[in-house]
Amino acid sequence: MSDVIRPSRLGPELWDATPGKWNADEDDTLICAHVRQETHDVKSFLFRAQSPRLFRFRPGQFITLELEIDGAVINRCYTISSPPTRPDTLSITVKRHPGGKVSNWLHDNMKPGLKIKALGPSGDFSCTLHAGPRYLFLSGGSGVTPLMSMARTLYELGEDHDVVFVHSARSPRDIIFRHELAMMTYGTSNFRTAFVCEKIGEARDWSAPTGYLSLPLLKSIVPDLAQREIFCCGPEAYMANVRAMLRDAGFDMAHYHEESFSFERQGVRQPEAETVLVGDETPAASFKIEFTRSGRTIDCRPDQFILDAARAAGMRLPFSCSKGVCGTCKSKKLSGQVAMTHGGGIRQREIDAGMILICCSKPLENVTIEK
Amino acid sequence: MQISNELRAMIGRRRPGYSLEAPFYRTKEVFDLDMDVIFGRHWIYVGVEPDIPEPGDYFTVPLGRTSIVVVRDDDMTVRAFHNVCRHRGARLCDGEKGSVGNVVCPYHQWTYDLTGKLIHTEHMGDEFDRSQFSLKTVHVGNIAGLLFICLADEPPADFEQMRQEMEPYILPHRISDCKIAYEEDLIENGNWKFTMENNRECYHCKANHPELTVSLYEFGFGYQPSPENADEVQAFRELIVREHARWESCGLPSVEREFLDSRVTAYRTERLPLDKAGESQTMNSKVACQKLLGDLTQRNLGGLSFWTQPNSWHHFMSDHIVTFSVLPIDPERTLLRTKWLVHKDAVEGRDYDPKQLSEVWHETNKQDGALVERTQIGSQSAAYQPGPYSPYTEELVEKFMSWYFKRLRAETGHETATVSPFAASA
Ligand code: FES
Ligand code: FES
Ligand SMILES: [Fe+2]
Repeated sequence: MSDVIRPSRLGPELWDATPGKWNADEDDTLICAHVRQETHDVKSFLFRAQSPRLFRFRPGQFITLELEIDGAVINRCYTISSPPTRPDTLSITVKRHPGGKVSNWLHDNMKPGLKIKALGPSGDFSCTLHAGPRYLFLSGGSGVTPLMSMARTLYELGEDHDVVFVHSARSPRDIIFRHELAMMTYGTSNFRTAFVCEKIGEARDWSAPTGYLSLPLLKSIVPDLAQREIFCCGPEAYMANVRAMLRDAGFDMAHYHEESFSFERQGVRQPEAETVLVGDETPAASFKIEFTRSGRTIDCRPDQFILDAARAAGMRLPFSCSKGVCGTCKSKKLSGQVAMTHGGGIRQREIDAGMILICCSKPLENVTIEK
Repeated sequence: MQISNELRAMIGRRRPGYSLEAPFYRTKEVFDLDMDVIFGRHWIYVGVEPDIPEPGDYFTVPLGRTSIVVVRDDDMTVRAFHNVCRHRGARLCDGEKGSVGNVVCPYHQWTYDLTGKLIHTEHMGDEFDRSQFSLKTVHVGNIAGLLFICLADEPPADFEQMRQEMEPYILPHRISDCKIAYEEDLIENGNWKFTMENNRECYHCKANHPELTVSLYEFGFGYQPSPENADEVQAFRELIVREHARWESCGLPSVEREFLDSRVTAYRTERLPLDKAGESQTMNSKVACQKLLGDLTQRNLGGLSFWTQPNSWHHFMSDHIVTFSVLPIDPERTLLRTKWLVHKDAVEGRDYDPKQLSEVWHETNKQDGALVERTQIGSQSAAYQPGPYSPYTEELVEKFMSWYFKRLRAETGHETATVSPFAASA
């Protein structure tokens, strides 16, 4: 790591000309500009480019940091929490995770002036790709970051979009960005927040009911749920719960978008690296694949086709071409997301109806299959 | 196909103007000949583009013991294949309709793409040349969204002529912008020729079709003139002239074109006035669907009818289309496949009610099915002998039979010229 120096950024070169766009291929180095304590265990890290650059990205996208910790290179993905409307810096927001190698390292070592390598931005989880007049942002824990970037963007564009921002936290003092969110509700007529806290904790002045997000609660917060474009990010269990609630509500899932903690579907292939989004520390070791008819549950690595994993575990499932052409392995997926690269053996509307070809599908999370 | 001397003699002695000798309606030998010479070598109407709106959609056509699958490929082209695997011959696609990624044989998973090419087999060795085992293709003809197939290697070329002539009539009804609102398969217990004979006359309509005759004029299909009906028939003639002029002026070709026995790919068409409100073939002769077809804005456009040999008829109104396909099953059973089409943006329950839309032809088909069965039973009697067609109301029946025998003779090497028995009265 280079020396901790903090050059002033207020020189004329930044202000007298429009800086170029940040380009990950050329400027792959970021400099830490500021560290902000958000809650007792969450910090935001603001970065800038080495020479003046403007960051352009879609709110909701992520960057990949390449960190050298204890002599080993570790790649980690973090969604950007700052909005593209503040183009001079870019921030990530990270929760200190007990035992988490990267989050602890960042919390303990990252300070202004430090340089790190970064790739990106990438990802397609963004309200700008699904423009709707009304949005519902659902977040759990540090899943708040991509939604914060979107909310800040909409706010700063002054577009007055109708947004309901529902955030679930462990307790009131764990609510990340609580004051900034409150501030945004003052500035607009169409921005609302609601916080769902598991418990009160030490916050004696907290009067809202406690517990988990449920469908009746969600409906009471957002009665016009059905008309909204929904963006969701949080731990897998949280998102699974949200999906189940929306399905029960008969919500048209074409208008539901989520960002997963682990990822491989973004087209960024890093088989060796542990990849984790938004600051949690779940290693992407393997996922559970449950086959409901055979009553078997097997392990499948994120880089492994489900059919291969099942065969390796001794299951006999019908298949023929094993390249997504013949459709013999077509199966109904009951839950979980997969990345599928088929060869014409399945139609889009079958995919829409929940079918997958397991010979060419890799899990992105735990998956349940009717087979 | 080899045919017996007896059948050859029967074909030779057919008496024009009369129904056929009983074996034509009953025996396996004639049925096999029909399937080979008539259904195997002519253009057969089988369905509409809205049967297969998206890539991968297919429908199957049962034709005697043969099955054809009609699919839409990834480039939106309509293709047809014999529904038979090139491995050991298993039937490929099931059911009347469905949708597939590729066509995969359920037996050993030989996999064909939607152009019929064999793209995957297991266990066939490295030397195996898949290119030799594509699905057997069947010709597809498309007239403004009406789909025809032909099993012959060299299909009759005059299909193109029929297409060019018929397209201006049909295009304003825009079949490709329609959806199938209702469809019905009816098995009639009779030979397919009885079904066709029955369809080609309305001699039986007044007594048998209370629903259909609400909107259908009784003079539309031939009538014996008499002093009592002279005024009405005259009024109807004048109505046709007036309406044709009105419809033609809004770009809707209406005049009769008739080639029912003068071409290999034979047909007839005409836009005919409807009675009462004049809008549609419904129980009150008003439209059954509030959203009109294509860009049509007027409701009272009568009914454009289109008849083809050997197996179809169609009615196009301002609000809906009814199409019929006759598919022989065996000597004494025939499948009648009926589809009702409305504009694809029409909303069920708001713009139309499928029951109301289909009730006239649902009832009429049932009545016709019973009449066909009645003739089938009658033809089994030892006392049955061919009877004379009415020169006034059964002229089109004779044209159907005349076409049928011309085709049998041409395709089996008979050289007998026939003269229309009605030439004098026409
Ligand atoms: S085995 Fe052929 S598509 Fe999966
Ligand atoms: S019969 Fe079709 S694959 Fe064997
Ligand atoms: Fe009839």
